[in-house]
Amino acid sequence: MEKFRATVKRRIVISSGMALVTMVLGAYSIYSIIISDVSTATHSDGFVAGFQFGLIISIFGFSLFDIVKLSLAINDETKLKILYNKEHDERMKTIRSKAGMPLIAITSMLMVIAAIVAGYFNIVVFYTLVIAVAAQLSVSAMVKLYCMKTM
Amino acid sequence: MKTRIKELRKERKLSQEELALAVGTTRQTITSIEVGKYTASLVLAYKIAHYFGLTIEEVFDFSEENEL
Repeated sequence: MEKFRATVKRRIVISSGMALVTMVLGAYSIYSIIISDVSTATHSDGFVAGFQFGLIISIFGFSLFDIVKLSLAINDETKLKILYNKEHDERMKTIRSKAGMPLIAITSMLMVIAAIVAGYFNIVVFYTLVIAVAAQLSVSAMVKLYCMKTM
Repeated sequence: MKTRIKELRKERKLSQEELALAVGTTRQTITSIEVGKYTASLVLAYKIAHYFGLTIEEVFDFSEENEL
């Protein structure tokens, strides 16, 4: 359990780092929106910027949630054991693998990064990649829900 | 697969949460095993049986598997 405690501590540090980075990026995004020239901006520019801002805010929110959850677990032996059991539960491992995790999560993340980069050059590619990510994540979530009901 | 987990739990006045914590799994997995939706791995079956001080065959009913 000491090894897992060290892992949780490391995760808290990583999540704190993520929260800090997203906070800076979020502040920069707000600054960019404020100083941007509205008269020359297109609808696509606004959409890509909005998507990025939404993504930054979501990552910030998830990081904060993780910090609170992990901090609570690290100070309570029972909660730490429950967290360990939840992460190493064989049934959940099977369900996750049937839902395509962690590959779906990795490819989705790469596709979102690609979408943001592509968004500066071609908005159609941006939309296509975002829709593809949404579709594959939806399928994965549906499979996971189905397996959780039947297993 | 049929099991005697529920019966053994009731005898010992043990909740699913407590059993799950003791054998290193989740309450949901214990529920699934009890209702026969999920078949525990050999390691988990051993942990559960060992927790109750019984053998795997005394906790898990393999009669359906033997029919094949």
